[in-house]
Amino acid sequence: MRRAITVIVSLAICAGLLSGCWSQKELTDLAFIVAIGLDKTEDGKYLVTFQVVNPGNVAGATQRGGGAAGVPVSIYTSTGDTLVEASRKASEKLSRLPYYAHTNLIVVGEEVAREGLSGVLDAMERGNQLRPTAHLVIARTYLAKDVLTVLTPIDKISANQIIKTIEFSSKNWGETVHVDIWGAIHCLATAGRNLVITGVTVEGDLKRGKRQENVQSSVPDARIKLEGLALFKNDRLVDWVDGPSSRGVLWLLDCIRQTNLTVSWKGKKEAINYQVVRAKTDVKAKVKDGRPVISVHIQAEGDVIETRVPIDLSDASMLFQLEKEIKKNLKQEVEEAIETAQRDKTDVFGFGEAVHRTDPRLWKKIESKWHDRYFPELDVTVTADMYIRRTGLRNKPYTPRG
Amino acid sequence: MLFQWGMSRQKKRMDVKQEGPDHSGEASDVPQEPLSAELAVNIDIIRQKTGESNDVVIRRFALGQEWQIKAAIIFVDGLVDEKNVYEFVLTPLLQASFPLALEEKERFQWIEKKLAAVGGVKHISDWRKLFFELFSGATVMLIDGVPFAISASTKGGEYRSIEEPQTQIAVRGPREGFTESLRTNTAMIRRRIRNPNLWLETMQIGTVTQTDVAIMYIKGIANNEIIEEVKARLRRIDIDGVLESGYIEQLIEDQTFTTFPTTYHTERPDIVAANLLEGRVAVFVEGTPFVLVAPALFIQFFQAVEDYYARFDISTALRFLRVLIFFISLVAPAIYIAATTFHQEMIPTQLVIAIAAQREAVPFPGFVEALVMEVTFEILREAGVRLPRAVGQAVSIVGALVIGQAAVEAGFVSSAMVIVVSITAIASFATPSFAIAISARLIRFGLMFLAAMFGFYGIMMGILVMTIHLCSLRSFGVPYMSPLAPFIPTNMGDTLFRLPTWMFRERPRLINQKNIVRQSGDQKPEPPAPSRQEKGGGS
Repeated sequence: MRRAITVIVSLAICAGLLSGCWSQKELTDLAFIVAIGLDKTEDGKYLVTFQVVNPGNVAGATQRGGGAAGVPVSIYTSTGDTLVEASRKASEKLSRLPYYAHTNLIVVGEEVAREGLSGVLDAMERGNQLRPTAHLVIARTYLAKDVLTVLTPIDKISANQIIKTIEFSSKNWGETVHVDIWGAIHCLATAGRNLVITGVTVEGDLKRGKRQENVQSSVPDARIKLEGLALFKNDRLVDWVDGPSSRGVLWLLDCIRQTNLTVSWKGKKEAINYQVVRAKTDVKAKVKDGRPVISVHIQAEGDVIETRVPIDLSDASMLFQLEKEIKKNLKQEVEEAIETAQRDKTDVFGFGEAVHRTDPRLWKKIESKWHDRYFPELDVTVTADMYIRRTGLRNKPYTPRG
Repeated sequence: MLFQWGMSRQKKRMDVKQEGPDHSGEASDVPQEPLSAELAVNIDIIRQKTGESNDVVIRRFALGQEWQIKAAIIFVDGLVDEKNVYEFVLTPLLQASFPLALEEKERFQWIEKKLAAVGGVKHISDWRKLFFELFSGATVMLIDGVPFAISASTKGGEYRSIEEPQTQIAVRGPREGFTESLRTNTAMIRRRIRNPNLWLETMQIGTVTQTDVAIMYIKGIANNEIIEEVKARLRRIDIDGVLESGYIEQLIEDQTFTTFPTTYHTERPDIVAANLLEGRVAVFVEGTPFVLVAPALFIQFFQAVEDYYARFDISTALRFLRVLIFFISLVAPAIYIAATTFHQEMIPTQLVIAIAAQREAVPFPGFVEALVMEVTFEILREAGVRLPRAVGQAVSIVGALVIGQAAVEAGFVSSAMVIVVSITAIASFATPSFAIAISARLIRFGLMFLAAMFGFYGIMMGILVMTIHLCSLRSFGVPYMSPLAPFIPTNMGDTLFRLPTWMFRERPRLINQKNIVRQSGDQKPEPPAPSRQEKGGGS
């Protein structure tokens, strides 16, 4: 008995000491990679950019020394035939173990996006560190590497700046959309829906944006800016949409939560501002004479928040008229988006999925030719209900008297 | 009857003692022969046996009309109330005329009558009993020509007065705490439970110290098996001295090799009274304000006395808080170690960067850092507890500076670590029972090692082992984790939850099996009936 206990205890101690601290890694031995950028080199290899946090220079480290004296992030690049190769090769330059669990942003260069995303996403989904909830954006005009090098003033780590911008902009303005790795893979694997990803670009002087002075000035020399939506066909980028029609895309994707619509009133352009506070889009498919037909119904509630023309908002008939005007405006936006997508022959709205749900058998037949043949000629009827709920604290706007 | 039990116990142990090895330091010393008839011989023996200690006062005097009968009273200075001795023992004897013609037996009765004002008069014929009575505070009287002694109870002397308890302080509730005097302590319970069924049995434990130990229970409520078990365990004790109830606790608990306490101790009479009403047994020990209560359950250590005085919703919330506190004091440093050395992905990005930033300048691995800080804290706490109050404050100032500021500024530790240590410390102070807080303190270090080796996996294994161990424990035959495991639904009202008082219909099942109903079931307070209200509203 005693012998057995001795054996068991010594085995337990050995097991502990020999295997102990397995996969242990100290915080000071890790390089926290917060963003990855993907570009192509001229010889067709991947150019991978890593944005590594320099913890000593981030806020919170102010307890010792002068605090955030240096730059908060550091950029490392490496090349390789595959993503994994490039990331392993980066260890030639990095003094710490690259750690991807906190990577929240993937910036894909436009060139890589035009060649196809599918090869890229696999490595990201497969690895156990990188999270599939990481945000995906497309670098527009500039390289992904350039976007990641720009220092940003408020959120010191530019990856955070981009992520937060996407989140708040998609909530308040609605021309950008949050797509993560999972969502992108889901779209790629679905026949009746193509991918839409927000674009990101640099505004200003790129060379000076890399320097610390960039964040020390109230007007930075270079800023990161979200711009447009990239429309994909299968896994390739085919076109960009900007402005109102990019919002039209997001109306159809039911991604709008709050936004502003400006309508003209009695000949004056952009006279009244309507703020959407709640919106819902229903996409329904029907089959008519063996051909699919889509009807989209958009419902929104909101407030009038600005008028630049004299209008009596206590008059209900005025409000009805205004609602009609807003409706017209919205329909125009949405129809523009549909036209663009039909021209590019890519169904980014998921109309195909709606058809699939309505008539799976028909879908089986037309699935392979959906994007190229059926979608461009698809009949889409857009209807909308826009309600004005509140008109602010004033009914009759003031009229300036000279 | 009770007294008899105590006596028989004493006799029995004496028999055993004579057979076994001698460790009492007494058996050979005390003369076996009966008292001598000659006063001088007896006094000589007493002097010799007590080493002529000068606190043993021997006062000679003479009785009878002609002062022809020599006598002496012997008492221990400080253990007796001297005023009593002179006023009620010596004076009546001196003033009376002692009839010489009386037989031995009648002499005793005569003296007993004279001493009626004192009470507790006993007839002593052997030395062992004489010394026991003497050192219990009695006054012993010897008379020349009489081969026995007479003792009269004159207990007195200085004791600490009743004060507010130092531990288990309550905002609401009685302010008195037990003292070192067993009699005062039992009286406090008597005052709370005025019932002849509150039974008290006294015995002496400690072959040298002969300490009074009393067990108290409510006959008819307490489970006989548990009473017998407690008695049997107390009877088994054969130790030279009992100086605190901790001696008894460690000799009667079910399991020595556990960090968890399986008996409950308290300084508060209201807690003891409440436990007696639930059917538990209390053990009082002379010379300590800490009274043992058995059997003890795990959940009991999370129940503060105030829970029953405050309203139920607050008490319930506080109980949940206490379990959380216990858990924090158990695992907080372990979680810090595991999360920063194994599972960095589980910390939010902003936070992990902030922690990494603080750790940049720290030269030690996370585990060493945590261990150093925890040990430092334990040192400070130990120093603060043991030192005189005036010095203790100085220690806490130094500690606050060393732990809080200087160590961080010097870059030895990160400020996140300081936060973790402080929260652990505060949590362990906030646990209502010191006994369970101490066990959490020990287990915490084990969990820290496991976390350093296996991360969260190790912590989970540790907690699992701890839970299994807890479920295997018993206190006087009652499963330690009941009523959680085994699960007893009817008793759940007073575990983590504290239901309204009118819902406590039953006593805890496993502690008390026969007399389980404690109150009638329809006591929910309600506003007066509407008709009465209407009448009242009219005026």
